[in-house]
Amino acid sequence: MKDIPGRYRRLLLLRSFLVQGSWNYEALIGTGFAFVLLPVLRHLYRDDPDAYHAAVQRHCEVFNSHPYFATLAAGAVARLEAEGAAPEVITRLKVAIRSSLGSLGDQLFWLAWRPMSALLAILLLLLGLPWWLAVCAFLLCYNALHLWMRVWGLRLGLENGMGLGRVVRKAPLNRWAQWMASAGMILAGVCTALVVRQSGPEPTAMAVAALAAAAGAWLGLRVRKAAYTVLLLVWTVGVFLSFIS
Amino acid sequence: MIPEPALFLLLVVLGGWVGIDSTSAGQLMISRPVVAATVGGWMFGDPATGALVGLILEALNLTVLPVGAARYPESGPGALATGAVLASGPAPPSALLAGVLFALSWASVAGVSIRKLREFNVRLMSLPAAGPELPLQLQRRHFAAIGLDYLRGALLVAVALPLLALLLEITYARWALDPRFSHLVLWSAAAAGIAATVRLFGARRFPLFLAGVCGGILSLLLR
Repeated sequence: MKDIPGRYRRLLLLRSFLVQGSWNYEALIGTGFAFVLLPVLRHLYRDDPDAYHAAVQRHCEVFNSHPYFATLAAGAVARLEAEGAAPEVITRLKVAIRSSLGSLGDQLFWLAWRPMSALLAILLLLLGLPWWLAVCAFLLCYNALHLWMRVWGLRLGLENGMGLGRVVRKAPLNRWAQWMASAGMILAGVCTALVVRQSGPEPTAMAVAALAAAAGAWLGLRVRKAAYTVLLLVWTVGVFLSFIS
Repeated sequence: MIPEPALFLLLVVLGGWVGIDSTSAGQLMISRPVVAATVGGWMFGDPATGALVGLILEALNLTVLPVGAARYPESGPGALATGAVLASGPAPPSALLAGVLFALSWASVAGVSIRKLREFNVRLMSLPAAGPELPLQLQRRHFAAIGLDYLRGALLVAVALPLLALLLEITYARWALDPRFSHLVLWSAAAAGIAATVRLFGARRFPLFLAGVCGGILSLLLR
């Protein structure tokens, strides 16, 4: 197996931050994935330009992954390329992991960690703490896991190559997602109570806000559209009334 | 209400960064409304107003999921512009309501711009066949795509600033509703947005939500 020096591993990590730069509806993050691998491929195939160009073209094919989990795939693919694995084997690995890396990342980050971190920031603001504390807490909290995931993923991929699936299945990522969702739910409850109180001191105002919260819980993902409609209606009425009063 | 040229330029430059942070580069979450709006407000010397706008917008964006090829609104550039413009002048509840409304509308416009960019990227990333040109073209075009995304974000902020200023002029001149009503509507919308995460985290965890509500009420009683 050819060696992948530290410099190229660092480049894999740094370039992973740009993996979605050329996201498109045909290759998804495929071209970005090839971009991430470019320095490593150039190093591994430095004595065989034709093999290098063929490898680059191979990796421009359609591929998808959660952006923070792209390093898992990049590390594993880099290792297989270093081992001289056949192109079909590498393609099989990419096909096998792409949907699971996507859904794992979505569950962990978009459905749990990000909303939980955002609710933490909202809570700190509602408690009257300084704005910079809330913003920094959100960014530090969120990016601590984000950055760790990229580094961990790259190391795991480089160490395990073809055995990546087995190792990822053993990792407690689902358990973490469940814990985060539970913590997020508690934070959501606390924030809801504080926001309802914020709506005004009168019991009527708080009752209206509490009803709105109940409607939001029922609406779920449609809440944004509903809130927009209400805000637009109120603004239109607010401006229109001035013409007739 | 439209910032002076230096601040305008700074906001536009920051808008580009906010634009690429949402997908193309980093995803460090500086494009989230609670960050972008606060930073916009801070640039105008009133981060508290920016943070207030950011809080409400964040509450309404908690359930937006950028999964795969899904079409979703992009809230960063609008939040930055709204936090900045509202911090630059008086921000009664009517102005906050107009600002939040604008930011939500602009997020949909930004979402369309992302789709258009992704469609353009299909053509941009039509690469030559395997050969000496391929790696260089891949790298150049990948960076070009990021550059275009940056310009997209910057343009969104540049156009948002005067549009929002115009909307606020109309609102200041023509508002006929009691400010307490505007205040109530805004915070009710925020409450709805936050409670909607019950669906996100899983309805079977609803007892935890109720526990949180009790905790929140307790904290209010203890103040």
